[in-house]
Amino acid sequence: MAYTRKNQRDLTSAERKRFVSAVLELKRTGQYDDFVRIHIDHYVADGEGKLRVAHMCPSFLPWHRRFLLEFERALRRIDPSVTVPYWDWTRDNTPAASLWSEDFMGGNGRRGDFQVMTGPFAYAGGRWTVRHGMTEQAFLSRDFGRPRDPITLPTAADVDEAMTERTYDTAPWNSTSRSGFRNRLEGWAQGQGNERFRLHNRVHRWVGGMMLGGGSVNDPVFWLHHAYVDLLWSRWQARNPSAGYLPKDPPPLGDPQYRKVAALHERMSPWNVTPAELMDHSAVYRYA
Amino acid sequence: MIVPRRVALRSLFALAVTAFTGGALARIGAAPPSAGDPLAGGERSADGPVAFDEMYGGRHIRGMRGPSGEPVVLVDGRPLHLMRCADGGWVTPVDHYESCPTPLAATRAAVDELGPAPLSRYAAGHGGHPGGSPRGVHT
Repeated sequence: MAYTRKNQRDLTSAERKRFVSAVLELKRTGQYDDFVRIHIDHYVADGEGKLRVAHMCPSFLPWHRRFLLEFERALRRIDPSVTVPYWDWTRDNTPAASLWSEDFMGGNGRRGDFQVMTGPFAYAGGRWTVRHGMTEQAFLSRDFGRPRDPITLPTAADVDEAMTERTYDTAPWNSTSRSGFRNRLEGWAQGQGNERFRLHNRVHRWVGGMMLGGGSVNDPVFWLHHAYVDLLWSRWQARNPSAGYLPKDPPPLGDPQYRKVAALHERMSPWNVTPAELMDHSAVYRYA
Repeated sequence: MIVPRRVALRSLFALAVTAFTGGALARIGAAPPSAGDPLAGGERSADGPVAFDEMYGGRHIRGMRGPSGEPVVLVDGRPLHLMRCADGGWVTPVDHYESCPTPLAATRAAVDELGPAPLSRYAAGHGGHPGGSPRGVHT
C-alpha cells in the first residue's frame, strides 16, 4: 500500500508536529547524523577523475531518491504515520512562508553569524547540535536569499522549461551536459552571476548557510527540497514514459567518463542498488 | 524504465548494505611551508594563482602546491579541500555550487560563507571514495 508525500503547506498542525518530532528523535538517537555523513562522504566533483554517484552525474536523481527513502523509512520506524513532505519552492518562495514557522523548519539565520534562532532546530533549544559540518560551528545556519548578492528561488517557468527536455541525460554526463533533464534539474548552467545556479542548485544557494556545502543535510529542509526535486523527476517520468535512464550502458574504455558514472544497471554506493531499481516508486509512495 | 513491481519493492525497501570500508586515505599534504617558501609570492599557472598568502575576510588564507603538484589551501592553518570541476573551475566543501576559476577565488568564496568558526576535519577532504567512507581520515 503506497503512502503519500504531501505538500508541506497542506500539512495539518498535528502532521507538522509529528514530522518534526520524528526528525528530532532520529537526531537524538544519532541516526540523523549518519545521514549527514553519507551525504558528505559521497560528494565528488566531476573534474576529480573519480567515480561519482550522487552529484554532477546521471545518478543524481536515483541516488537522492534512495537517500530519501532511507530517511523516510527511519522516520516511519519512529512514527508510521510520517512521510517526507515536499517544499514547492516555486510557490512558497519567501521567508514569510509557513514552511519557516516556529513549529516547523524555523526561520532565517540572524545577521552576523547566520545562526537559526527560531523553531525546533535552533541550537539554543538543545535538540539540534550540528556534529558533522564543514566548520566546527555547532548551530544550524541559514542566509535566505544571500542579501549581499541577492538571489531568488526558481520560478514555475524555470521548472516548465526544464520539463520540456525529452532526454534524461546526455554526454559528458556531468555538470557541463548542455541538455538533458537531469542536469537541467540539478541546475549547473553556463552564464554569469546567478544565472549559473538553476533549480536544485539554486535552492541550496537561496537557503544558504549549511545548505550551501557538504553539511547540507544538517538542515532538515534538505529533505523537503529533495522530495520536491524527486516529485519533479517523477512527473517528468510520467510525461516521458519512453525516455529511460541514461546512460543505459557504461561509457566504454576510452570515454572520459569510463568508470566515472553509474549506468542503468550499475550499483550505487552505499546501498549497492542500481538506478534501474529506483525508476518506479509507485508501489512505495506517491505524491499528492 | 518499467520494472516489475516486486523488483521495485524489493529494491526500494532493501536494507541498506552500507559497505563502509573505512579505507584510510592519505592526508592532504598540508604541511605549512617554511617562511622561505619559494612558491610564496604568487606562482601562476594555467589554473591561475596557486600560491598565495593573504588575509581575507578576517581569515589567513594560504595556497601552495601539494606533493603531487595539486593545489593545497589552508584557512587559518586548517586544510580546505579543493575539488576540480569538469568546467575547469574549483569548488570547496563549504560552497558546493560556485565553481570558481582559480583556487584563490574558490578559497575566498568559501571564506565568504564560512561564518566565524574554524574549519572542521571534514573540510579537509570528503567524497573521497564512493566505495566507502573517508572515515579513516577522521579518526
